[in-house]
Amino acid sequence: MDWFYIQGILMLAGINLIAVLGLSLLTGFTGLFSFGHAGFMAIGAYIGALMTVSPTTTPAGLGLPFFVGVIAGGLGAGIVSYFIGRITLNLKGDYFCIATLGFGEAIRLILNNVQIFGGSRGWPGVPYKSTLPAIILVDVVAVLFLANLVRSRHGRNMVAVREEELAAQITGINVFKYKMIALVISAVYAGVAGVFFAHYMTFLQPKMFSLTKSTELTIIVIFGGLGSISGSVLGALILTALPEVLRAFEIWRLVFYGAAVILIMISRPKGLMGGMELSPGGIRKARAERKARLEAQREMKQAQEGEIRNA
Amino acid sequence: MAQFLQQLINGLSIGSVYALMAVGYSLVYSIMNFSNFAHGGVIMLGAYFGFFALTILKFPFVPSFLVATLGTTALAILVERIAYKPLRERKAPFLYFIISAMGASILLENIVIATIGPTFRTYPQIFDRSPITWGPLAIGRLDLLMFFISAFCLIALILFIEKTRIGKAIQAAAYNIKACALMGVNTDRIILIVFGLGGFLAGVAGVFFGMKYTVYPQIGNITTKSFIAAVFGGLGSLPGAVLGSVILGTLETLVAGYLSSQYRDLIAFVILIGVLIFRPSGIMGRSMEDKA
Amino acid sequence: MKRAIVSLILVLALALVGCAGGAKNDTIKVGWFGALTGDQAVWGENEFNTVKMLFEEYNTAGGIEVGGKKYKLEVIGYDNKGDAQEAVNVVKRLTGQDKVVAILGPNASGNAIPIAPVLEQAKVPGIATVATNPKVTVLDGKVKPYNFRVCFIDPYQGAVAAGYAFDKLGAKKAAILYDVSDDYSQGLREFFKTNFIAKGGEIVADESFNGGDVDFRPQLSKIKAANPDIIFMPYFFKEVALSANQARELGLTQVMMGGDGWPSDQLISMGGAAVEGSYFVNHLDYADPAVQDYKARYKAKFGKETELNGYLVHDAVLVLVAALQKAGKANGEAIAKALEGIEVQGITGTIKISPETHNPEGKDAAIIKIVGGQYVFQEKYAAQ
Repeated sequence: MDWFYIQGILMLAGINLIAVLGLSLLTGFTGLFSFGHAGFMAIGAYIGALMTVSPTTTPAGLGLPFFVGVIAGGLGAGIVSYFIGRITLNLKGDYFCIATLGFGEAIRLILNNVQIFGGSRGWPGVPYKSTLPAIILVDVVAVLFLANLVRSRHGRNMVAVREEELAAQITGINVFKYKMIALVISAVYAGVAGVFFAHYMTFLQPKMFSLTKSTELTIIVIFGGLGSISGSVLGALILTALPEVLRAFEIWRLVFYGAAVILIMISRPKGLMGGMELSPGGIRKARAERKARLEAQREMKQAQEGEIRNA
Repeated sequence: MAQFLQQLINGLSIGSVYALMAVGYSLVYSIMNFSNFAHGGVIMLGAYFGFFALTILKFPFVPSFLVATLGTTALAILVERIAYKPLRERKAPFLYFIISAMGASILLENIVIATIGPTFRTYPQIFDRSPITWGPLAIGRLDLLMFFISAFCLIALILFIEKTRIGKAIQAAAYNIKACALMGVNTDRIILIVFGLGGFLAGVAGVFFGMKYTVYPQIGNITTKSFIAAVFGGLGSLPGAVLGSVILGTLETLVAGYLSSQYRDLIAFVILIGVLIFRPSGIMGRSMEDKA
Repeated sequence: MKRAIVSLILVLALALVGCAGGAKNDTIKVGWFGALTGDQAVWGENEFNTVKMLFEEYNTAGGIEVGGKKYKLEVIGYDNKGDAQEAVNVVKRLTGQDKVVAILGPNASGNAIPIAPVLEQAKVPGIATVATNPKVTVLDGKVKPYNFRVCFIDPYQGAVAAGYAFDKLGAKKAAILYDVSDDYSQGLREFFKTNFIAKGGEIVADESFNGGDVDFRPQLSKIKAANPDIIFMPYFFKEVALSANQARELGLTQVMMGGDGWPSDQLISMGGAAVEGSYFVNHLDYADPAVQDYKARYKAKFGKETELNGYLVHDAVLVLVAALQKAGKANGEAIAKALEGIEVQGITGTIKISPETHNPEGKDAAIIKIVGGQYVFQEKYAAQ
């Protein structure tokens, strides 16, 4: 195996992971289904590129350091998401989906038309700044932040919103506020992912942020398991690598991919790690549950045997 | 004025294409409460079935039409059995259905690319393509035919649902599928029938789409628009789907014709989201809160 | 569940190990990539088939001689769905794992631009086929050391189209319909527009559609009201056929003109009478005796007609083989050096790769008119 190739896949998986983690909060923990996160990635990517691209190229940028781009990209996506949220978060179910879908397509359409960023012809000359250590660092920070958030009171409130919105509202949880928090955080994550993506590809084109990209991210979250951070991590790694592994199959590749998605949904509908975590606490919990289950089985068996004996 | 009338005709014609596709979405949604994204793939295969019946089997139009629609009916049922039934039995949340549907849609598109090939194909000329002209206005014959056939299908469908016993059961299932099952209705069969009907409509849409435009593996993508139209009209409502489609088609056309073709979809989206803010369940949709 | 993960990891590991086969030292591995799935798959398939066919022919003839030794040629081709991100992955795989010495393709500019840094890192040259965006080989006045191409570029094509429309066809008012989501279409539209206006013409309608659209009547109705002399349609043949049919249905009778996205068998079978009398700018003349042999060989082998991409990848292969022989060794860096200034007689004309721009120098465009369902060559036309 060649490190050059593997490294590329790992970097992409790491970049996808940033966006997936955000979406995991939105979809997995709060229960909102977005079709437009590629739009937030696009906003992050273009703002990030605007910061870092050298002022001497066309289309020109500001020539600032990379970390400025990362911060600006994340913030930009977050701010846009706040306004989108104000408008759309009261919509329910598929209506929210359609609103996010419309948003994602609208961003792409605007970028196609806006010539200062190169329009659909794209923006070459983005500096190559996304290194594997930097991506891993951001991934670790993103995971830690998210893990602490979902374990806090806020995280539990979000899960309450997902499980029973009406009941959550009655018990005094500000449903709109928690949906908004989840949306903004997920958009910031997507924006940062976009910045890293731009500085990995060194080229931006609106068609990179299509509806397919949005659904890919959502598929990863569901594949990994709703409400599980470690599931999202595994999902991002496996599903980014899967098309590469299948590459040898040429045109049959996407047939297998589609079949795999269906197969996973019908055979393991909770996703890889639905509701469970690969952390010391999570493993302890899973072990305890397993032990309790075995114990209950044994007791049942004993009771049954007892009944037989009694009879 | 002539241009405005022509644009209205254009809009209605585009809207009727959306309508045929959107009804399939809405029909399945009314029972299953999820958007069946595999519908686009079924439509695409309908176009191919019709094409091959006409060219390879050399059937005349009506038998080819039957081959295509029966083929898609079977296909839609097959998709339901494989991709959704196991989920239904586990009572999985609607997200899983959507993902499974996306998997099915990726699968169908790429099976076609891998077996039939990526090339697009042209339907043999069955109907006269020359338009009916009236002064400066032009109406495509195929557009007219398509308009009437879709109107006919929709009316037949609505009559079926309103007047027959099965239709009543579908309505009941749409209202509350659990209660319906408790009342002794075989909901599994109802779901099968609904998918069959959706598949049949997909076949009609596919054949006409193929005749009017062309046949290629990515036809399914166009259904994103009809999905939007279905949501806009109110998911789960058949008249809503038709109305939403006609409005979307006309809106798009007028925006492209009078405001800006560059920003057509953007303006259309903004108007749609504006409508959703004031009517969060679409124009004719029932409120989701009812179910809570 | 654990078993599922373990088995997945095993499958992954196996697949990765299985792919890393050893290289035989009497074969030269060449990479190819393009779209074999997605909406550009027609062109991808055509290119890949052509490369396979040509390599097979070289190998049955005993291989090619490089540095005094006979080598067989092997092509390793991957599908990138026409997607930029996949293009980067594929090139990393081709250069890193498969250790190819050069890469043929891609056909899309949007895929050719992001692979430049990867090629540079790996020191492997890439020869693009019909990627016509100037930025594929030159960025900010600097030539990219490992990017080459065998086709002319958009500014040239746009100037040719505008010049021919204005000077030869006498059009004073032009309408443009283009695909706003496509880089190729937007590029051509821009260069046509500036050149046509510079000549003293007027753009009376500038309308667009969104990739994937099939109905263009709203835009065409607007163009009809603007009453142009000519309609410029810089996009691919599926949309060309659809929009031409719809334009004629709406009663537009104007001459239509397009670029190298037009030529295809499908255009005639789908567009039929609607595209009669239209002009387009092409890379070559299909009736040219030089291309007949390739055309016949392709048809005999694959049972269908070749598309435009096939001719250009054919010449890319010729250029590559010549560069290999000139370099005298199968090494990416040496091939890249040999490519600069190389001159090869291809079927699409003489290809002389300029060391300054890595573009073929002085490739004239061919103007083709559709007459009686045939592509009829008009003249070689160079923009003034």
